Amino acid sequence: MKWQTKNLALYFQSQEYVDTLCIPLIPIELKNELEAIKLADQQKSLQLISDELERNFTGRIFLSPSYTYIKESDFDAESKRLNQWTSSLSQNKFQHIFFLTYDVNWKKYENNLEGSLIWLTANSIDDYQSDQTKNWIKSQINQISELIRSYW
Amino acid sequence: MSEKKQQVSRRQFLNYTLTGVGGFMAAGMLAPMVRFAIDPVLQASSGGDMHAVVDVSEITTEPQRFDWTIEQVDAWYTSDVTHSAWVYKDDNDEIVALSPTCKHLGCAVNWAGDPDHPDQFFCPCHEGRYYKDGVNVPNTPPNAALDLFEFEVREGTLYLGNAIERGGDN
Ligand code: FES
Repeated sequence: MKWQTKNLALYFQSQEYVDTLCIPLIPIELKNELEAIKLADQQKSLQLISDELERNFTGRIFLSPSYTYIKESDFDAESKRLNQWTSSLSQNKFQHIFFLTYDVNWKKYENNLEGSLIWLTANSIDDYQSDQTKNWIKSQINQISELIRSYW
Repeated sequence: MSEKKQQVSRRQFLNYTLTGVGGFMAAGMLAPMVRFAIDPVLQASSGGDMHAVVDVSEITTEPQRFDWTIEQVDAWYTSDVTHSAWVYKDDNDEIVALSPTCKHLGCAVNWAGDPDHPDQFFCPCHEGRYYKDGVNVPNTPPNAALDLFEFEVREGTLYLGNAIERGGDN
């Protein structure tokens, strides 16, 4: 389920079945053009993967709007803020919490996070309609699905 | 003075009238053009469209999942939406195209997803199950059969349309 009016009504009716919260982590910055383009591209592909994941597990996964932060922030402080953010969103109602990200900086702070970090290796995508891209996205989704299901 | 005022207002009246007529004429010319411009959009979002999904020769008696993407036009923007179907040929060689959307809370079901029931569809979310024809297995969470897609075969290609509900089947 998603942060959308229709989905929310269904969520509140069937909360007991929705036990998994997924939060995409999206870094932004506008200092450097190439870096900004890279980050925007990663945001798009992470959103695509998250949406597809949500489509496969609509009845059990709640996909939160992305947690957005400044790329060069202090990750110590950022992980505290993320934990606060997550716990007030989840209110202990979700048994499983997953963070999806391309940003390797989180890896070091993984143990501080109140949830499981799913770190994906980036792959820059030029043509979202190409078969190669579709297959790559499919295989990413399969791997993440398997991982999430192993927690269920 | 009153005459002058009247003249002015008569001229104004004429002005308004002519502008009005001109406006009408312009609208008359524009209307079909606007229609022409937005019509394809209206068509693209209309429900009854059939989409080419797969070559019929690829369909086997074992259900396979096929995905296709359509452009969905919402009020402000266009987005690509992926749809999926489980497609197979039944014992009478008839094509069956099932929606993968679980009737419990909407997860995507998989053929033979549960090793204990290799001849059923399985929903990984809350272990809902369906027989091969899409009818829900009693005493699992779903309370209706999987939707069936409208389909059509044209020149060896399978086209799928809307998924149609079959209603409760407890
Ligand atoms: S969504 Fe399929 S069993 Fe619950």
